Amino acid sequence: MTTLELIIQSSSQLPPFPAVINKALELINKPTSSIQEVVETIQYDQAITADVLRVCNSAQFGLRRPVSSLNEALMYLGFNQLFNIMMSGAVAGTIGRAVSGYDLETGELWKHSVSSAILSQILTEALNRAPNPMLFTAALIHDIGKVVLHSHVQQQFQVIKTLVRDQNRSFLDAEKEVLGIDHAELGALITKNWNFPEEMITAIRFHHTPLSAGIHQETVYQIYLCDLIAMLTGIGGGVDGLSYQGYDEVMNYFQLAEKDIERFIAQLGDELHKVEALMGAQ
Amino acid sequence: MGISQDEDGSLITYSLGSCIGVVIYDPVARVGGLLHYMLPESNLDPQKALKKPYMFADTGIPLLFKESYRFGGVKNRLIVKVAGGAQILDDSGFFNIGKRNYMAMRKLLWKNNILIKAEDVGGQVSRTVRLEMSTGEVWIKYSGEEEKKL
Repeated sequence: MTTLELIIQSSSQLPPFPAVINKALELINKPTSSIQEVVETIQYDQAITADVLRVCNSAQFGLRRPVSSLNEALMYLGFNQLFNIMMSGAVAGTIGRAVSGYDLETGELWKHSVSSAILSQILTEALNRAPNPMLFTAALIHDIGKVVLHSHVQQQFQVIKTLVRDQNRSFLDAEKEVLGIDHAELGALITKNWNFPEEMITAIRFHHTPLSAGIHQETVYQIYLCDLIAMLTGIGGGVDGLSYQGYDEVMNYFQLAEKDIERFIAQLGDELHKVEALMGAQ
Repeated sequence: MGISQDEDGSLITYSLGSCIGVVIYDPVARVGGLLHYMLPESNLDPQKALKKPYMFADTGIPLLFKESYRFGGVKNRLIVKVAGGAQILDDSGFFNIGKRNYMAMRKLLWKNNILIKAEDVGGQVSRTVRLEMSTGEVWIKYSGEEEKKL
């Protein structure tokens, strides 16, 4: 078996995604469905419901009184926040594990992921866009490919490092050249197996190469920026460090300036308690 | 930000991306300090700087020094070492916050006649910085590599 075949095989061995969440994602994508329908779908899964309520009632969320049902949580938090908590719980187990090939200990990739997701909210607000639940979820799982790829990165680390250090190549390029696939491509493959919406698969596939996406440009660009800003802060930074390409086009598209990036970083610094709260969903 | 006089301990900050870690150490008073700041200038948001002065170079660095004086540190004895300020692969400058973080610090130290004894800045790497209090040595670790002395 070639390395590539081996990688693809191990990606199919990831635990399946909770069906109830797939159903919820599907409903959200349908303009005709109501929030109530989504909540009812989730309610059937007791483990997920219990998880969501635990996070809602954690000290970091600071609700004035404890909530005991999803409907109650919905009333206090609104649908978007409720959905985000649910998604965090669903993917925490997979993304929260140690990714030693990238020199990330248990929880570090998860912290980077949750920070990116919080940045997606900061960005949506700053850009005056309507909240898009896809965005938060895509930001949460954009690096899912690393979970599978890391052991192969570890084996070939010296070769990859040489390409990055000596030839000034991006880490993504080096992964592709040495392993035959990079973590963004692999992430798209995994989320395709999970039957995720196309918009999310596209955002994950192109989170380092946003100009190549061709479709779902807004979402792809936003996920690219969230990941990039989270990388700049260093939160959950691993062997790949900051070895990725910056694209002015994305900044120009949103009419953002250097100072805006600084503002987003400062805002994230203020909302780290939110990061901690959502990490508690694990 | 942390100040220490504990000779058995270390001050450490993990995974600096474009942020900068400033380490100071007075070998006579045996007091050390470490600041990890994220942004160059507090005029971005003066309100925030009042609440979180350590987020910015221009409000965090003076406080780091002042705090060490309270523990017997003396300005002209303090050894200053810095690390961090990494960047993504970008020519245009939109994302070069690491460089701006570095320049803000240089400007501030220069104005106050403070020399940097050693530095490990720039590049694309994620760094962890550790000040060993028993020796005053500063150790840098790039992610995925062995720790090395600065």
